[in-house]
Amino acid sequence: MSKITRRGFLQTSSALAGLVGTGVASAESRPPSWRGETRVEQIATNCEMCFWRCGVMAEVADGKVLKLAGNPQHPLTGGQLCARGNAGTQLLYDPDRLKYPLIRIGNRGEGKFRRASWDEALDFFATHLKDLKQKYGAESVGFFPHGVAAGFFGTLMKAYGTPNAAEPAFAQCRGPRDIGYQLTFGRAVNSPEPVDLEESKCIVLIGSHIGENVFTSQVTNFITGLQRGAKLIVVDPRFSTAASKADHWLPIKPGTDIALLMAWANILIVETLYDKQYIEQYATGMKELEAHVKDFTPEWAESMTEIPAAQIRDTAHMMAEAKPAVAIHPGRHVTWYGDDTQRARAMAILTALLGAYGRKGGMFLPTKVKQGRIPLPPMPESERGRADGAGTKYPLATEESQGLTQGLVQATMNASPYPIKGWVVYGQNILESIPQRQNTLEAIEQLEFMAVVDVLPGEQTNYADLVLPEATYLERYDPPAVVTTSKRPFVAIRQPAIDPLYESKPGWWIAKELANRMGLADYFPWKDPEDHLSRLVQPLGINLAELKSLGAVSFDGHPYIDDRKEEDGPIFPTQSGKIELVSSVLKDLNFDSLPKFTAVEQPPPGYMRLIYGRAPMHSFSRSENNSWLDDLMPDNQVWINAEFAAKAGIKNGQVVILENQDGAKSLPIAVRATVGIRNDCAYMVHGFGTRAKGLTKAYKRGASDTDLITRVSIDPIMGATGMRVNFVRVLPTTGERS
Amino acid sequence: MPRYAMVIDQERCVGCQSCTVACKSEWDVPNGFARTKVRQTGTIGTFPKLSTSFYVSQCNHCDRPTCVPACPTGATYQDQSGVVRVNRDLCIGCGSCVAACPYGARYINAEIGKVDKCDFCVSRLGKGLQPACVGTCPAHAKIFGDLEDSSSDVFRFVYRGAAKRMETANIAIGPNVYYAGKPKHAELALASFAPVPPRTIAPGKVWSSLLNKVVYLAVGVTFLGQAVAFFRQLSTGEKQFEE
Amino acid sequence: MSASAIPMVPTPLTSEQAEAMAQRQIKKHHVAIVLLHWFNAISWLLELATGAGLIVSPYYRFAPLWYLQMMEGIFGSRANMLRFHIAVGLTWTAVFLVYAIFGFRNYLRIEVLQHEIGLDRDDMQWLKVRTLLLLSRTKDPLPPQGVYNAGQKLFALLVYTMVPLIMLTGLTMTFHWFGTTFVAWAMVLHFFAVGMVVSGLMIHVYMGAVFPEEKPAFYSMITGVVDELYAYRHHFKWWRAVKIEEQTWRDELRSKEEGGARSTDEKPDDNSGSDNAPLISRPQSGDRR
Repeated sequence: MSKITRRGFLQTSSALAGLVGTGVASAESRPPSWRGETRVEQIATNCEMCFWRCGVMAEVADGKVLKLAGNPQHPLTGGQLCARGNAGTQLLYDPDRLKYPLIRIGNRGEGKFRRASWDEALDFFATHLKDLKQKYGAESVGFFPHGVAAGFFGTLMKAYGTPNAAEPAFAQCRGPRDIGYQLTFGRAVNSPEPVDLEESKCIVLIGSHIGENVFTSQVTNFITGLQRGAKLIVVDPRFSTAASKADHWLPIKPGTDIALLMAWANILIVETLYDKQYIEQYATGMKELEAHVKDFTPEWAESMTEIPAAQIRDTAHMMAEAKPAVAIHPGRHVTWYGDDTQRARAMAILTALLGAYGRKGGMFLPTKVKQGRIPLPPMPESERGRADGAGTKYPLATEESQGLTQGLVQATMNASPYPIKGWVVYGQNILESIPQRQNTLEAIEQLEFMAVVDVLPGEQTNYADLVLPEATYLERYDPPAVVTTSKRPFVAIRQPAIDPLYESKPGWWIAKELANRMGLADYFPWKDPEDHLSRLVQPLGINLAELKSLGAVSFDGHPYIDDRKEEDGPIFPTQSGKIELVSSVLKDLNFDSLPKFTAVEQPPPGYMRLIYGRAPMHSFSRSENNSWLDDLMPDNQVWINAEFAAKAGIKNGQVVILENQDGAKSLPIAVRATVGIRNDCAYMVHGFGTRAKGLTKAYKRGASDTDLITRVSIDPIMGATGMRVNFVRVLPTTGERS
Repeated sequence: MPRYAMVIDQERCVGCQSCTVACKSEWDVPNGFARTKVRQTGTIGTFPKLSTSFYVSQCNHCDRPTCVPACPTGATYQDQSGVVRVNRDLCIGCGSCVAACPYGARYINAEIGKVDKCDFCVSRLGKGLQPACVGTCPAHAKIFGDLEDSSSDVFRFVYRGAAKRMETANIAIGPNVYYAGKPKHAELALASFAPVPPRTIAPGKVWSSLLNKVVYLAVGVTFLGQAVAFFRQLSTGEKQFEE
Repeated sequence: MSASAIPMVPTPLTSEQAEAMAQRQIKKHHVAIVLLHWFNAISWLLELATGAGLIVSPYYRFAPLWYLQMMEGIFGSRANMLRFHIAVGLTWTAVFLVYAIFGFRNYLRIEVLQHEIGLDRDDMQWLKVRTLLLLSRTKDPLPPQGVYNAGQKLFALLVYTMVPLIMLTGLTMTFHWFGTTFVAWAMVLHFFAVGMVVSGLMIHVYMGAVFPEEKPAFYSMITGVVDELYAYRHHFKWWRAVKIEEQTWRDELRSKEEGGARSTDEKPDDNSGSDNAPLISRPQSGDRR
């Protein structure tokens, strides 16, 4: 009998059965989160798709997370949640996730592993670290963490005895502005940035691309401010989303921001438009500043920045009119040219001149939260000290800062000041986040042991001897988020929505188990994370059950100078107790105590300066394997000025390869020829072009800007790696973009 | 009865796609498709006086939807609050409505073999919640409400503000997703993503223009033929004993 | 009647012959076929009623609004009507598939199809004469027909082509086979195929249930038999084949009784008046519809 009829018969009968089964099914489409009988539980936690940690409600049923949504009761973010936050379930259920402990077989870099049990894996780690301590000393282990979740591991590594912990957040991101503002006002900017966008009357963005760089509440406040009538000035070589909403878009020549900032200071001072009373009351060094900015005229600045002097004047007047409610956003990723601390100082000085620091519509002040402390045995002191140069070569990269990753890489490469033989990498994509990957790869070759703890098999896992699978943020407890830089400070919980999948484990468990094996159990004197959590929040008068159900508990804040109370401490915790327009600390260290303008190297003919940024549907290099986010943006493009492209015979959409001044080449990338960028720049979104085969959706999609950042300009004050000092030209490939 | 509508404030929108993903997550929208889309318009102007915007689109729940009559089984219908909905139990996934929508708001969900599109999250509305996209938007760029309620924000935008409809001279079917903000941004959106004339899919054209006629003719002729025979039979009578 | 006495063409009968023939029955349709026919008829009624009620788009609908509303009322919702339509349609398809699989040798082999519903010269002539008769423009006799007359054969051909199309398009729409474009075309072809069969049904139902001359045919679809006179008058070539088979059977029986030595009488020749009608050695059985 013909197969088709038999199959048709079977299909028909099964269809009939199916028809009976569905019975009177719902007529309307229903999302899985609203299944009729299934009880849906709402778990309050916070997000880790980036580091803003927006409040999240996880809808859970039958041990499955059905959907994520914002937490309407979260004091910072309310019910809003960005594209990445909404896509968190696709990280949780990503089939490419690390599932089991892995131990390397084959050569390092081949990415060949065998599965190991947790017992074996943990013993493996403990044994190796013990060996390294015996052979080379505890300082021979470098620790590369990222994020608040690394807290438990941070304790472990400190207790083990190594001071060499380095996060990219400092030297590759926020460091210069935190130091710059700390030198001026006495405190770092911190995160979330305490910029009073919603109350502002004039918002100034220097390079910041809010709207493409999406932190939920920051976008909310930014837009609220604009809707309330705030003026917007955007300084950016590229016509960003923010620029499209600006009253003034200043397409500044890259590397000349200090000239513009100083010219603005010049106008405010020369025309006596600055907040005189505020400066007299709160600041020192005005006379020196006045003398310093005398020559930074708008005309001079025009010749440097290619921004018309008239526009420089107009924008200065715009700010003056709005003062003190002027929000000059300190930026976030500010490691550009090597003079970034000085640029941050210039921005801080301008903020002070406008009387905006500690005032409504400017920058508000953090309010301390009395956290609990779990007493631990004293941490071992290191005799040899840090190897990365923090605190020594770069005196302002202090212990409180997060270290210098590239310093640690260099130390490992050169075995100087002493050999570094082991790396523990926790959630840090060292090959993408740290520039000059050729150095990182060379350093890895010096290692005797490398352990990687992560959720996804990023490129660094290929080089590990041991890979430990961590559970995602939806499956674990993390240290509570304590946020002081919010108008209402708060404490937020991260708690699991479901049990960890596969054999992944939460970081606290891994750290504690390792501690037990390494004789460091005393540094984890709590029995489980709820115990840990309650001890931390109890002094705040918070009921753990309340925190678990609400997700966050907030307190009264004193955001403005006029609100401050005794217990908030000094308004300006500088050496002098005032705003230091002239930095005494820099003076003492023989750096420029007032920002000077230095010209940066220009791209050779035919080359463009490589600049990079963010996209709203991705978080740097950690989300490109997410199925939903990948669907929205599977790869990046290189923005090139349309005229430049036309002259070079490059078409919109054409696939090209970028080559930098050192001959480094990128993966193929499509061109976006646009009128919205200067002709001396090429822009791409960071985070694509991974070489990690285990990330099946992201593997070699788009191009990596890190591939092209083969040289950096080190900020002499605090060691940040300025990365916008590479120049690229276009090499055409054959064929169109697929 | 409420008359639901939405206002997209283009000045607020930053094109972050939070709405796209929240909706996708709420409604299991497969990759490659979207119930609500965010697209950037072209960038116009001469450097540095440039202009660009974002166009957030979805089903407009039009006053005179062209998709509803196009559906053979009536699976797509408009309820009393103006929401154009799809009854999955009646939809066979023929795609007639997809072609009939001038805004490209519909798509075929291959996993279930049926059409899908924004339905203003009616099941959420029933529980007193906002549509998923509205609640999640960091910029509060999507405003949803009842046009019959004079105290609602949508009322204010539509009847007292200058919120615009995405309509052209040829296609003015009364979309109920309005666009607020600077006129030049609405113009940009219209220039980049103007609604297109509703199409009839090829089988539909064949059906209504040709096959309908053929079938009516065939059935009509045979019916008439038998009617004639029957009347003849009546008049000639039936013989008791046949020859 | 001896084999040689079986006429090759229809000849006038004496009244005794006619009366005798009128009393005798010949089996035309097997019980299985009878059941299938009525199952089919009921299914078609249900499917037509619900199918018409499902098409509501002003571009495509043919039923009046009151009908659409009535049907929706009867079923409670059009979704229920569709479920019913699919359930009946799948059952109908399944039953036919069972028949097709198990009855392939009897009903669907090429030789069977060619014999029963293939058109020969007599059929073409019949069609011409019958049409002219309807218009009262001729007094010619109708040429002899097989088990099914030419009109019935045409209807069968229509049904054999349209019904599989209806089934396939119905399944395509139910299970969304091969994607949207296929489903959309299936929708249109489903309507068209049904429409074509409906127009054939006009004649079929009239001829079967109303037209007096074909009354015996109608009853045969209940009882399974027709009287021999009717068969002689309207389906001569089939009558002849049955008679020959009967004769052959009798002869065989007699030769068995007499010890098998005697040869049979002269074999009837193949000339039953048609060029392309092979001699069938199995009893023919009824309808496929």
